[in-house]
This record gives sequence, structure tokens and C-alpha cells, in this order.
Amino acid sequence: MDHRPQAWGRPRDDIYGAYDASYLQTSGPKTATQSPVVTGTSVIAIKFKDGIVMAADNLASYGSLARFTDVKRLRTFLDTSVVGFGGDVSDMQFLDRHLKELAIDEAYEHNDDQQQQDDDDSHHKSTPGTALNAANLHKYLQKLMYRRRNDFDPLWNQILVGGLDAARKPFLASVDLRGTAFTSPSLATGFGAALAQPIMRRYAATDEDAARLTREQAVDVVKECMKVLFYRDARSLDRYSIAVVTKDGVELSEDEQLERQSWAFAERIRGYGTQTV
Amino acid sequence: MEFGNSGSLSEDGIHLDMDRLKKGEVNLGTSIMAVTFKDGVILGADSRTTTGAYIANRVTDKLTQVHDTIWCCRSGSAADTQAVADIVQYQLGLFATMNGKPPTTQTAAAIFQEICYANKDRLTAGLIIAGWDERHGGQVYSIPLGGSLHKQPYAIGGSGSTYIYGFCDAHWKEGMEEAEAVEFVKGALKEAIKWDGSSGGVIRMVVLTAKGADRHLYLPDTDYKVRHT
Amino acid sequence: MTSIGTGYDLANSIFSPDGRNFQVEYAVKAVENGGTAIGIRCKDGVVLAVEKIITSKLLKPGANKRIATVDRHLGVAYSGMVPDGRHFVDRARDEARAWRDTFKTPISTADLASRMGGYMQAYTLYQSVRPFGITAIVGGFDSREEAPVDGEVGSGPSCGAGGKVSSKTHGGPFLYMIEPSGLYWGYYGAATGKGRQAAKAELEKLDLSGAEGGITLEQAVKEAARIIYVAHDDSKDKEFELEMTWISGADGPTKGLHQEVPKALREEAERLAKKALESDDEDEGTEEKKGEEKMEE
Repeated sequence: MDHRPQAWGRPRDDIYGAYDASYLQTSGPKTATQSPVVTGTSVIAIKFKDGIVMAADNLASYGSLARFTDVKRLRTFLDTSVVGFGGDVSDMQFLDRHLKELAIDEAYEHNDDQQQQDDDDSHHKSTPGTALNAANLHKYLQKLMYRRRNDFDPLWNQILVGGLDAARKPFLASVDLRGTAFTSPSLATGFGAALAQPIMRRYAATDEDAARLTREQAVDVVKECMKVLFYRDARSLDRYSIAVVTKDGVELSEDEQLERQSWAFAERIRGYGTQTV
Repeated sequence: MEFGNSGSLSEDGIHLDMDRLKKGEVNLGTSIMAVTFKDGVILGADSRTTTGAYIANRVTDKLTQVHDTIWCCRSGSAADTQAVADIVQYQLGLFATMNGKPPTTQTAAAIFQEICYANKDRLTAGLIIAGWDERHGGQVYSIPLGGSLHKQPYAIGGSGSTYIYGFCDAHWKEGMEEAEAVEFVKGALKEAIKWDGSSGGVIRMVVLTAKGADRHLYLPDTDYKVRHT
Repeated sequence: MTSIGTGYDLANSIFSPDGRNFQVEYAVKAVENGGTAIGIRCKDGVVLAVEKIITSKLLKPGANKRIATVDRHLGVAYSGMVPDGRHFVDRARDEARAWRDTFKTPISTADLASRMGGYMQAYTLYQSVRPFGITAIVGGFDSREEAPVDGEVGSGPSCGAGGKVSSKTHGGPFLYMIEPSGLYWGYYGAATGKGRQAAKAELEKLDLSGAEGGITLEQAVKEAARIIYVAHDDSKDKEFELEMTWISGADGPTKGLHQEVPKALREEAERLAKKALESDDEDEGTEEKKGEEKMEE
């Protein structure tokens, strides 16, 4: 037996072979990088004439286990923007708390202005140059995510931000765990990038196309995409949240059920080739 | 650290907890749960602690008090979860004396969550927080590995829980009477003990209501039928 | 004010032989020169109002607010030295934020008042500092509904949590006033600044018991405007702006948030206030001003 303290708590060399001490190495880069544990899948969104529609299902998975089925992944900001989260749920909650504090900071400075403008023009909640709009919020989140990735401690999320920009035009953009940002007439994270994005592009390939879409059309396209995702994404759920953002604010519904699914054709499927009974 | 460096999730996600353990660490192989019922909450747990296949403790108490009627169920590393529970117990005691009023289950959940989230790369802790307070009645919060916080009607956790998702979903009822809820917890834990090699021993429960904390103990040699305390 | 300090007023840390801290008393003097600030707690909310004296025509109307938001459900009005008030507000925001970071829930009005009372008191103890030249009125509405942990997901049973003690209610409107000494009390109605005597006399006439039949938030807004107008002394200060904020519960007009009273309502309240003053002036001969000197110490 080896009684040296160095050998305490370690498998015996004579039985298990030499101990691999490489993990004890203290030099080298700091690796705070984590991997996600409790995760949400896709978020999808599309612009339309007066705003944007965003949706995400209510599932938080634990590996392949569908562990939490009532997790709302769309969050509103100042009732003018909506943020959709894919990826790690604990990091989503961190960002949610962070954004809540940001909204309180906004109320310090803008509460009074905003109130004034509410009175002047009851339809326009935030006016350019005052409270943070969706474009500002997206830029802020991009900087935050990029900074965290440079700290080698990324927030493990893919995020969509929807709302209106400074010119009060529909705004939609994404940012991921590396701080990479995109904007497009339609956007999807995770599996949705492969499955939903091609469908949404059929309706809104360009901003001009999107500007011709009505709210009803946009909602229908998004609901259709949620159905396709439920059919083909093994980490998805048939209960979902959907948000519509226009100049009148955010309408968020957090307990939608997928409707009009198509399964009856299974009856015609017999065997896997030549079998007919 | 022994977490692997692929950065990708084990596809067999249900055994995530065990993959996270450091080598030789004492594991609360565990079946734990907490349920809300008509008058409060009930926490339940098996009593097996393992190092690999060896049962290091067969009469473990995994139900830990952090304040008068706020308790938690611990799963994952015994050392980590004990350390976290000790910190929270201290913080809640401080809260009560400083503010002259007892903390709520939310207060406890918030402190637990911050510790689990901020130290996610160092901890192997799967916790269920359950408590009763005047304002909110009985509540259950689950804090799984990454440090997220989930409010639930009932929560199950630990390696044994994977065998009883179906049982619990099928038999769960909201607003049960105390006796009925005790039977639900006992039935679920019996199944978990039966199918999970890392769970076993006695069934412990704590019932939290306006009347305070009440412990239950059920033993395998009486087929968990007789209440011993 | 009665006597001079005769050497015992040179620093905070020195008591006078008869047990007074002159520095604190001088700070109270500073407050007594400030524009009137009042707070009204009624059954469904809190109103804060200040008489903001216009010191120069070159200042932008509506700018340089004197009532600040501390957290979503908390507001602070103050009277006295404005820079001291600004610092007080900064600290209050820090306290509210620190509470949120630790407990992931909003700070209660009582806890904020307690912390700020402690902070003000600390400035009466040391040689190196002077007391705050303000009296602050802290108003808030603590949620009556159950509040989630910030960021939490999921929900409890749909039938609601079991075992609640239903006889107890929680949260509601709260009002505190903190003086330069660090002394603070909870109030139904609070007034400070120049016109506090007149304002207190008016506040005492209101039914602020919080019970059914007490005045409503909308009535309180109108009363607050009227009281500020009553307390305003035309002969000393020509012009002032009325600044008013309010906080209701989640089911009220501000949805639990501390917000400025909407322009339309404020203007209506000011119109009524002016009207009430005019009719008072007409009755001047019959009804003498009540309570004006009564409160003087």
C-alpha cells in the first residue's frame, strides 16, 4: 500500500495502473465554459406589416427527458419588445432578472417623459430617443453575450428580439452565445433554423414581402411552423407561447395548444416496403 | 474535473446527475420528491447513500431543515448539498432575526438558486425546496443541476425519479387530503426503490403545515406499511 | 428655533449639555425652507406631491423632477436640499436593487424605510459628515398578490397552494417619513417643508383610516393638489409647479407601479384646487384659517 498523502483518495496504482493526474494541472486557460443542462428548443419569429410574431414551446428538456412542461420562454420588455430564449434555462432566468433590472433603471429616467408622451399621443408608448426600443435592446444583449463569451463564461442561449425600432418599423434580430447577431424578415433558433425558416421564407423572403403580410397571415405561418417543429423535433412540445408585438404593445399568450394536427394518414402505412396488411 | 470536455450533453440525459460526480465521491443515488396537498407540503426520500455499488449509509436522512417549516430534499453529491443547505440555513436564520419575520419558501428558493447557479461548474446538487408559510401555504420548488428554478405542483428528483415519472403523472391529484398525499409519496418511492439500484432502505417523510413539521418513517421489513414515528 | 449652539453646534459628534445635537436641528431648518412635500396613504394607493418652487424663468418647465422612482412600486418625495435628496434617492435605489439581487423579490416599503432611516441616522454620528438637509417621504405599494421569485418558471397546482392562512392579508399601500435625525414613522398622511403646518391641518381633516368609506386614490390626488395649493404662500414665492405621482395596487390605475399622475388628471386636480382656493378666499371673513399655528412647537 502507498500511504503517501499524494495517493490519498485515489485508486491504487498496483490495481488500477498509474493515476492520470493530468486533470490536476493548474496551468493553461481558465475554462469556465459550461454546457447546458435544462434546455429549451427552438424559438421562431416573423415580421409582418405592423410588427412581429414570435413563438416558442413550453418545454424545458433534461437531456432527452421532457422534464418541465410549463416553462414560458418568451419574455416581454417594457411592454414594447419581446425576447425569446432557446438553450439553457438557468441562463435564461439570469437574463430575465437582468432585463427586469434594466427595465427598472429605465423607469428612473423615462417614467416621467413617457407619461408625458402617453398623454400627448396615447397610441405611442415609447417615442424615439426615450425608452429602450427593440433595436436598442438587441444591441445591448449582443454586447452582453459577446462579453460573456470573451470571459470564457458564455450564456448558453440563442435569443430572438422582436419589437419596433427607432423609426417605429418592425424589428427582428437574433443573438447567440458567441455574441453573433443577425437580422432578417424571419428568424428561427435551434431546430427551427432548419425546419421552420424555409417555410417562413416562403412568405417573407424580404422586408418588402413581410410588409405585405397581415397579422393574421403571420400568426398562421408561425402556428404552421410550430406544428412542423412538433412533428420533427424530438425535444419539442405541443403546448406553446405566442407573442404579437405592434405599436400598441405586446400581446402574449402563454398556453396555446397545437391544433389541426395530421396523423390519420398513419392508417395507410403498413409494414415498411412490400407488406400490405 | 471529471465532467468530460466534449461540451455536449450526454444523450442518455436521464443519468446526467451521475455523470457529474467526481471520482470516488459519495453519491446520494437517491429518490426524492415533494408534493403540495390541501394543507401544505410533504417531502419524501429513500435512505440509501452509495459510493459506486457500495452502500455507504443505509439509513441516510436526505430531508434537511433550513428553517422552521422550510425544508429541502438533497440529491447529487452529499458533500455539496450539505454545504449548500448549511449556507441557506444560516442565511434564513439571519433573515428571520434581522427582519423580525420568518422567511418565505420563495426567500429560501431564491438563495438556494443563486448558490447553485453561481457555482454551477463546481457543484453537483439536485435540490427540491418545499416549505409552508402563512402567506403562500405549501409550495414546491425544484432546482436541477444547472441552477434553474422551477415552481411545481409536485417535484421528483434523483436517479430513482426516472423510473416513476409515469407513476406520478398517472396518480397525481391536486389538493389531496394528507393521508392520501402520504400514500401517493409512499407508493411512488416504493416503486423508485424497487427499480433503482441506487435507491433503497427506509422511506422518510416530513409533513409541513400550519401545525409545523411532522416526521414520518416507514421501514422495508414491514413493507413500508407501518408508520414508525 | 430657540437658542444658538454656543460651541456645541460645531460638529455632529458633540452633544450639548442639555442633550441636543445642534447639527441635526440646523438640518431641520434647511428642510423648513424647502418647498412643501406631502404624501397621502388611502385605501387603494399612495399619492406623493411636491410644491416645486420655480427659482428662475430660465428653467425648463417640467424638468428637474423632485419625486423619484426607487423601484417599480416605490417612490420618494423630499423637501430641503435638492442635492442631498438626489443622493438619498441614489442610495434608496441601491438598497432596493441589493434586496432584489439577494432575495429575488421587491423590497417592502417598510424594509426600505428602515434601511434609509438607518442610513440617515448614520450621518448624525460622525465628525466628518453632516446630517442630510432633507426630510424624505417614502411611498410604496407592496403587492397584495403573491409574488413569484424573480425569473422563476413554472407554476404550482392550478387549484392554488394549500394551507394558506386566509384570515391574514398581505401587502397594501404604505407611507413613511424620514427626518434628518434618522427618525422615521409610518403615516396616513405626511407633510414636510415650508407649508407643512397648513398641509398637516388639511391632512388631518381627511378620512385616511384606510377603511371602507375612506377617500379613494383619485380623491387623494385631488386633495393632494388642493393641499399643495393651500400650503403655497403667494407672498413668499410667486411661482411653483405641482409635481404629483401615485401608486395603486395591481388592480388600480398604475397596476402596482410608481408613476407620474397623468397630465389630464393632474390638470383637473389643479383646476379644482384653484377653484377651492377662490371660494375659500370669498369665505375668508366668516371662516378663519384653522390649525395654522396649532402645530408649532
